[in-house]
Amino acid sequence: MRNMSVAWIGSQPVSLMDAIQNVAKLLVSSRCPVFTIDADVHGTRSAIALAERVGGAFDHIHGDTLAREVALFADQGAMITTPGETRRRSSLVVLVGDIPVAHHELLLHLAGSNPDLGDRNKRVWFHVEGALEPPSDAGRLHRKLRPVAIGGEGLGLSGVLAALRADLLGRNQTGSLANVDRLKSALGKSRFPVFVFSGAMNSPDLAMLQGLVADLNKQGRASSLFLPTDDDAWGTALTSLWMTGFPPRTGFSDSLPSYDPVRWDTQRMVRDKEADLHVWVSARGTMPPKGRIGLVSLSRTEKRTEGAAVTISVGRAGVDHDGVAFSSRIGTFHSLTASAPSELPSIASVLQQLALVFPGRMGLPC
Amino acid sequence: MKAMTFTLLSEPEERLDLSVLTPTGISGLSLAQIESVRVGTSRKPAVVGDLFKLAGKDAENLIVEGGSARFDRVGAGMGAGSLRVVGNVGSQAGRKMSGGSLLIEGNAGDHLGSGMAGGRIELTGNAGDHVAAPLAGELAGMEGGVLIVRGRAGNYAGDRLRRGTVAIAKGCGDHVGYRMIAGTIVVTGKVGAMPGYLMKRGSLLFDRHPEALSPTFIPCGRPDIAFSGLFDRYLIAEGILDRPLFGNRPGKYAGDNSVSGKGEILYRSAR
Repeated sequence: MRNMSVAWIGSQPVSLMDAIQNVAKLLVSSRCPVFTIDADVHGTRSAIALAERVGGAFDHIHGDTLAREVALFADQGAMITTPGETRRRSSLVVLVGDIPVAHHELLLHLAGSNPDLGDRNKRVWFHVEGALEPPSDAGRLHRKLRPVAIGGEGLGLSGVLAALRADLLGRNQTGSLANVDRLKSALGKSRFPVFVFSGAMNSPDLAMLQGLVADLNKQGRASSLFLPTDDDAWGTALTSLWMTGFPPRTGFSDSLPSYDPVRWDTQRMVRDKEADLHVWVSARGTMPPKGRIGLVSLSRTEKRTEGAAVTISVGRAGVDHDGVAFSSRIGTFHSLTASAPSELPSIASVLQQLALVFPGRMGLPC
Repeated sequence: MKAMTFTLLSEPEERLDLSVLTPTGISGLSLAQIESVRVGTSRKPAVVGDLFKLAGKDAENLIVEGGSARFDRVGAGMGAGSLRVVGNVGSQAGRKMSGGSLLIEGNAGDHLGSGMAGGRIELTGNAGDHVAAPLAGELAGMEGGVLIVRGRAGNYAGDRLRRGTVAIAKGCGDHVGYRMIAGTIVVTGKVGAMPGYLMKRGSLLFDRHPEALSPTFIPCGRPDIAFSGLFDRYLIAEGILDRPLFGNRPGKYAGDNSVSGKGEILYRSAR
């Protein structure tokens, strides 16, 4: 992208500073600016700090998916462990529901090892799945792991989990579950069973699963491993929690952060014209949805974003510049080294410059 | 004295927090002070006078003429008096209400009656998801009072209901009575999947056999119990229903056995 334009006002190529000053003017005059973010930790921190400065609201680009995953934890809470603990200590791994393809490599990697702490038995796999759900894309995974299927005829995942939990508690239930005795036997032998689930589950299923894990902890140890649908989105949620105490879909209309997954759904606000300026921040270059309000696009793009009042081309952490991002493979943040360093500015640096041309000329505190 | 009336002048540009427009919220305020109360939620928030024309003096009885899906937290925190909204409302109407009467002549968004502890809410239209349910991180939903939805309710109605009565006239979505702690939910019309999932105690009362029930609910036949007749009389006396829900000897399921199993689903048996 060397020697190419990195900033446009409308369709006109301009200098980066001119574009930044124009964005500052739009933000100052906006009644209700909203930020939709997809960035690494530094970019996310800067965007949230700027949203706070201008009294806006923010959400992740995959806001609906992330809100559902956040609700899993906010509504119920969860006992969770890391992939590393699972690999080293768990001889019994129970997959629950559909696991996104993006995480199959992690599970295949787990399948290639055995625990070296705890009971050290050969790792065995089960899969709790509903008969009513659409067929998953787990063919290769199943061939490698050969999990024992726990399910019941005519039961969806909710029904299977409920029946399984009741069975393990020795209570009556009317379903008929396959292989439940094998699971009971495996639970009896394992010192650290781990239930693997993803954000594709609905909230009641997670509540039932976490209840089951809590039941098992009355007798021994058990935990669960959460694999988010999108690592970057989950990293944004953790960064937001760290900065504001709330996950995305938080607004700063009266200077204090307020979390409301309905009110501060930024893409809904754009659709319903509740917002009057949409700042779209996408390190992956995702195009914003068409809206009928002012648009500022900070996106990894080689051309102006259609419909944007201002477009600034930005780099991606791990490709154009170094950065920090969440990795579900290790269960925490990790540093990223630029694989193809370029002169594209980072999101954080653009937003920092933007803050400095704002009235008051104060840099962002990150 | 004529009820204080707030007539909507035009559709608001932003979402509004109308929790201040309750008899307690405006008690002791002059007309000019009421008109200057902030209700907008954007950087340049609207005040009452920007959006509503005020008339009447009885601050114990309020009327909002005209509604909008952007009217959030209507009647939230209300403790006494009455509030009538002629039109639709947004989310969290009647949130944490502890007394008084809220009548909404239209539809409502999510979290209608969330965490209410007393009083009466009546909605003539449809409600969104999470009727009477808690917000994120809260341990209990509705804790008392009566909530009537004359239309249909969305998913998760009565989530973590702890006390009080919820009545829904035209059916509801999935997971009604999810994680119920106690209290009573009455539904006439079609009920979605998994009613009572994870309920600990409490009563779900339906006018038909529920479909898609969790296998952790155990059929208990048709017990001859006094409760059904007693509750039928209550529903009619309160104006919630105009004819008995159950009739004689309703069918019964006990559950949810994946938790304590002390809840019940009663339903009208085929005659």
